[in-house]
Amino acid sequence: MAAADSPSAALRRRDLCSRGIRLAGKMRSDVISLLDTYVERQGLDASASVAAVEGVPVAAVEHWDEQGGTQRLLENLAAYRAFRTLLAQMLEEQREQLGEADAALGRALAAVLLQVSAFAYHLEELLRLESSRGPPSEEGAAAPAPPHLGLFERKLRGLGVLQELAQWAVRSARDLRQLAKLSPGSSSVPSPTESP
Amino acid sequence: QNLKCVTHNLRKMICAWDVSSKGRHGQTDFCYTTNDLPSPVCFKTKEKRVEIPVPESSTMVTITTNSISGAAFATKEFEIHKTDISFVPLTPRILGLTPDFSTSTLSLKWSDNGSVFPYGLDAFWQIQILRKEATEKVTQVTYYSKLTHEDIILSWNWTSDMPLECTSHYVKIRCYINVTQFVGPKDWSDWSPVEEVPGKDTEPSGSGVFPQDTVVAVGSDVTFCCVHEEGQQIQRMTYGPEIYPMIHLSSRSSAIRVLNASASDTSGTNIVCTLAEGVMDGTVLFVGYAPDTPEKFSCETSNFLIIKCTWKAGRPSGLYGKRRTKYSLFERISGKNVSCEVNEMNKERVCGFPVLADQKTYDFILGVSSPIGQTESSLLVDLTERVHPKTPEKLTVFGNSSTSVHLRWFINGSFAEIQLLCQIEISSGHSERKLHNVSMPGGKFSIYTAQLNTLHPYTKYQFRVRCSSADHFWRWSDWSRVEEHTTLEA
Repeated sequence: MAAADSPSAALRRRDLCSRGIRLAGKMRSDVISLLDTYVERQGLDASASVAAVEGVPVAAVEHWDEQGGTQRLLENLAAYRAFRTLLAQMLEEQREQLGEADAALGRALAAVLLQVSAFAYHLEELLRLESSRGPPSEEGAAAPAPPHLGLFERKLRGLGVLQELAQWAVRSARDLRQLAKLSPGSSSVPSPTESP
Repeated sequence: QNLKCVTHNLRKMICAWDVSSKGRHGQTDFCYTTNDLPSPVCFKTKEKRVEIPVPESSTMVTITTNSISGAAFATKEFEIHKTDISFVPLTPRILGLTPDFSTSTLSLKWSDNGSVFPYGLDAFWQIQILRKEATEKVTQVTYYSKLTHEDIILSWNWTSDMPLECTSHYVKIRCYINVTQFVGPKDWSDWSPVEEVPGKDTEPSGSGVFPQDTVVAVGSDVTFCCVHEEGQQIQRMTYGPEIYPMIHLSSRSSAIRVLNASASDTSGTNIVCTLAEGVMDGTVLFVGYAPDTPEKFSCETSNFLIIKCTWKAGRPSGLYGKRRTKYSLFERISGKNVSCEVNEMNKERVCGFPVLADQKTYDFILGVSSPIGQTESSLLVDLTERVHPKTPEKLTVFGNSSTSVHLRWFINGSFAEIQLLCQIEISSGHSERKLHNVSMPGGKFSIYTAQLNTLHPYTKYQFRVRCSSADHFWRWSDWSRVEEHTTLEA
């Protein structure tokens, strides 16, 4: 566990964690405002709760406090890679369906997609520090083709993606705070006294 | 008793009779004769109906019923006049009933069985469309045709007021043939067997809201239906923010009817079917305007490389993305077709078409189409009469004389086939602006020159130039930049 032990690595890790927490916070507020715009522009009912959408990673997790640092990062990275694909699909559909008519929504979607991509890259940085194997490669992991859905189902699916992304932003901040507390490189679970 | 004769084809008739129920009957002896028969035709039958020729005027019939052992029970004679014979066409045969779900249209095909009848008879076909297990009549129409002594396949289309997926549709048909020279009673045929187009509410996994993601014109009336699983209950169906009263179609399908739909938002109007436990299904309706016929359709060239066509933007269609209004330029003489990139969000309407070698005249059709409708405008132009040169560039003024100067400029474009007319504007201080016209042969991406004389010595002048076609004036180019020059002292 060479690099993880040196003080500079710990410092770098804590710095990455705190910057990641700020990124997640910004992303969450942007996703919340995007959600408002999305609901309004797509004519949806704000109170509509969308059942779990296939292909959208779920933020809620059991035994959250028992997870190790590396596992947290891996789950986060998998989620944001999935969101990157889902948001790119949403952006493509947005252009196809509305063209230039709703540029504002398109720009807001693109902005959040950029943040999700940046956050995924940030997680990869952390994983390089955290685990000697580094982040899992994405080669060969072709993005699943979007399911053939009617327009209304796509609107609901988009709502589900954004709602879940907002949840993930909260979870990521908590995960990174948790990670910042752990001793570097430990994938073990903090003793109960240390748990948040 | 009750001998009745019916003909289906004017040549043969089927005569049927009743027999009193007393005693057990064996075979029947049936004889008939007409004026043009040498002797009666007789035969035995177990049936109580026979098929015999339709007489020219009348037929004498003798029916003898026998006991099981063959002993004659009773004999009765009938005279059947032509006026007693009924004419009832055979039941029409439906050849095909084809649904087009995208247009909610049923296409019915049937044979008119015309070969059986003389040429030229009028035939009337009553067609019924039904729903709800063929119990509710939706519409009945009468279709007319003329028989041609051949079997012709007739077809008829019907567009439903609701998507065909919503519930099963049934069709049946009957006919009436107006045989003018037939003196007996004439009647409608029987109804054909019912043909069915099953709805999604008969399919195990047919749930959904229909029509799916369709486009209609503003003011349309649209019926939406929600097909769900057996036993599920629809809590409400909404169109946009409004809850609509539901129309029961079947145990698995209910509909709402939206009248006079108004223009939808950019992302369309949602039609949501909320079932129990908040489960939602839905569709999206896009309501927009049909494209206007382009006005002020005009084409010109600024460089003899590209023809730039413009037109006045019509009313916005309210449809975007892949449903937007699409434009294409078709040139009839060359057969060349170009699709135009038009951004509905801004007012400009421009489309470029390449200048074709050795073609001076262009016969354009600007095609406009959207999911709601299409239209077009046409324009015939002689390109040499539609030259609008680009702004002259790199204007330079030089000269080492007190009363004359040379001007030089460049025009981006290929004008080798025409004569150019250029106008030089001369102004200096307080004196009045003067215009000097000069014409010159056009060139290919050329530099053009002109000389001005009779200027005043030691005077500061401002010059600028613009050009147009000398042969057929269409439009001036924009003015070039101003260039200053002071003449030498005398």
